[in-house]
Amino acid sequence: MLLEVNVMAISAVARETVFALRRQIAKIEGTLPERLQAPAGSAPDDIAKSDMTIVRRGLAVASVDAFLHTGIERFDAALGGGLPKAALSEIHGLETRDAGAVAGFALSLVSLILREKQGLPILWVGTAEIFHEAGLPYARGLHALFGIEPEQLLFSEAPKLLDALWIAEEAARMTAFAAVILEIRGSPRLLDLTATRRLHARARNAGRPLLLLRQAGEADPTAAPVRLIVSAAPSASRETVAGPLAGSIGRPAFKVDIGKSRTALPGQFTLEWNPDEHAFAERTENSVAVVPASGGGTDPAPASGAVLAFPALASPASGDQPSRQQHPAHRSPRRAG
Amino acid sequence: MISHRDNNTQRIAALDERAEALKLKRGMGIADARAMHPSIDVVEADPEADRRLLEGLADWCDRYTPLVAIDAEDGLFLDVTGCTHLFGGERAMQDEILTRFFQQGFDVRAGLASTPGAAWAAARFHGDRIVAGGEEEALLSPLPLSALRIAPETRASLESVGLRTAGAVMAAPRAPLARRFGATLLLRLDQALGRLDEAVSPRLPVAPLSVERHLAEPVMLTDDIERLVSRLAIALKTDLERRGEGARTLALLLFRIDGAVSRIAVGTSRPMREPRLIQRLFHERLTALEQNIDAGFGFDLVRLSVLSVAAFDLAQGDLTGDTADDDADIALFADRVRARLGEAAVLKPVVVESHLPERAVKTVPFAEAPQRRAPAAGRAAPPRTAPPMTVYPPERPVRLFRSPEPIEVPATEIPEGPPMNFRWRRALYRVARAEGPERIAAEWWRQLPGEEEAPTRDYYRIEDSEGRRYWLYRQGLYNTAPQAAPPRWFMHGVFA
Repeated sequence: MLLEVNVMAISAVARETVFALRRQIAKIEGTLPERLQAPAGSAPDDIAKSDMTIVRRGLAVASVDAFLHTGIERFDAALGGGLPKAALSEIHGLETRDAGAVAGFALSLVSLILREKQGLPILWVGTAEIFHEAGLPYARGLHALFGIEPEQLLFSEAPKLLDALWIAEEAARMTAFAAVILEIRGSPRLLDLTATRRLHARARNAGRPLLLLRQAGEADPTAAPVRLIVSAAPSASRETVAGPLAGSIGRPAFKVDIGKSRTALPGQFTLEWNPDEHAFAERTENSVAVVPASGGGTDPAPASGAVLAFPALASPASGDQPSRQQHPAHRSPRRAG
Repeated sequence: MISHRDNNTQRIAALDERAEALKLKRGMGIADARAMHPSIDVVEADPEADRRLLEGLADWCDRYTPLVAIDAEDGLFLDVTGCTHLFGGERAMQDEILTRFFQQGFDVRAGLASTPGAAWAAARFHGDRIVAGGEEEALLSPLPLSALRIAPETRASLESVGLRTAGAVMAAPRAPLARRFGATLLLRLDQALGRLDEAVSPRLPVAPLSVERHLAEPVMLTDDIERLVSRLAIALKTDLERRGEGARTLALLLFRIDGAVSRIAVGTSRPMREPRLIQRLFHERLTALEQNIDAGFGFDLVRLSVLSVAAFDLAQGDLTGDTADDDADIALFADRVRARLGEAAVLKPVVVESHLPERAVKTVPFAEAPQRRAPAAGRAAPPRTAPPMTVYPPERPVRLFRSPEPIEVPATEIPEGPPMNFRWRRALYRVARAEGPERIAAEWWRQLPGEEEAPTRDYYRIEDSEGRRYWLYRQGLYNTAPQAAPPRWFMHGVFA
């Protein structure tokens, strides 16, 4: 049994009773005890007011402080309070070409973390392969977009995955880093459930987030409580005094799917990063229409409509390139014929 | 018998006692030798291997003194000044060296004297002799001219005028000798007799501090070595404290019982003297090298040397301050990673004033990067300098490719405009929106005189039909000259 030592009004015995009741209610309602506290549609004020949120099987409580609030109420509520701060979190990109969006989303989370932990450095560990395929972190871009100073950034290029895991494990147990990012490509066998469990345990003990970026990775078993699948979303136009500037590329936008979460219901969110205020904003369906048809010849409006119509993982890529899921379908008729 | 090729002939370079008994001589042709004794065994000389062996022996001799120099092809100089008492005096030390070499299977001659020249002569012409100070002249006088370390031509011409021993040269008037045979002869003579100092340059820099432990029972296990390291580091700490310094580079020397020496070095990014930390660094290094270190029958001497030192600032941590502690943690972390994975394992970006994106950020190893310092109380942090002319800083990607990747652009809407679609890594991307261009010209001040000016780059921010954002550039312009190559397109980075 895991009880966070926290100054709370409720005594331990009373809390036990609450847990037992909560489990019973959950059983009657046929849902998880965690969801009772923060159902997806509930008013978010309730969460903020109550000073405890259920994190582990309804048995332990953690203060709201244990979560990183993205500022998007719907997203935080879906994750049951936000992204756990002292944990391993997986952020997936479906293809390596999404590496920019995945890195951008992870760095915006880091930027939110850095608001509380001013000046602490971050460490970005990657294999030589991924840095070659997806590019090295560029300090000037990081500074402009996420407010991460160049001297705050350390990165480590490991020749082999085993070395990258070792560096990440060593770094995850340190409290001197605000966050550790481990980036790998594909689904290597080395990074299995045991390896992620080790990373998660160390991050939990150190109380620091460890973001595992997996480019072009499968949804393998993982010990991380949360897995998010991130891809790029068409950005909105730049705002000017005279209204949106047609054809311009505005703030970075991400499409975030919750791939795994103990508490969350599946959902898709389109988040926009505000580099000036270092905060997220959610884009609702209405604002998608702001994206104008460009002179490039394609019309983005049907594309985004199609994305909304399909479940997250099975959505076909709207470009010319078939996505990975489509390949077998393309091949099989050719073989038959 | 060892042969070597000299002037297109195979000649005898070295030979053993049995071959000498057969009246074979050094310098004789192999064909002649085979004609005399068809059954001789001839091995090709391998100067590289000889050199390696000599260096290995020099490493081994480090156990006696840190000042070991290699002398030509077949000799070693050991400067044992101040070391002999550690081995029980000069005689005992020389005996031990000779015995140890003999046990390793070498036929070694040794001489010990106050000058390198006299020691050289004693080793080569007496075999096992200790020359007391002042006896150099008596030692050299009866010896032939080759004891003076002079060139064969000089020796031949000296012999041709009847000077056949070193004593004869010493007795001869100096001025005519110098005039006729050059200054080297007298220089060598004076050096051998101790009238002039001769510096023996050691092959390795001498460590400012070292501690060592001779072991009666050789150790083999990595754990034992690590334990020894921490013991030695404790001994080192007092010395470092007395000097007010911390170690920046440390080397661990493991002398294997059969003569092989392993040298393991670690660097630290800040001066260090804490034994626990030193041991952790060596732990990483030893783990990384586990396969490469062959303990064999064990190591009988372990030495920990400080190769370079730096002033150790005694910083008093403020009562609340976690920052100083954090920095130390990170420095230790970086050192450990470096000890295991090499110099460039932890990198730090350093912003450089340059317009070229790839040059604007330099990545340097953590140890070389300027240390981040917490702004001291009373002194304000330096104001962040924004580029004075730029109101809006240009947008820069979050990831930059190490080298720009060429892409195919079939068509652009207008000649100098953004592409309509492009092919990158064999996939076609359709451009939905584009911003730009941002023109970045080459830095002419870096250009070498006579070098052709690098073409300008026009950078575009591109968003493809799926919302991914890229940073492309076109190198060169259209139609600058009719025969000029068409501009090329490159992918340089990705935006968030």
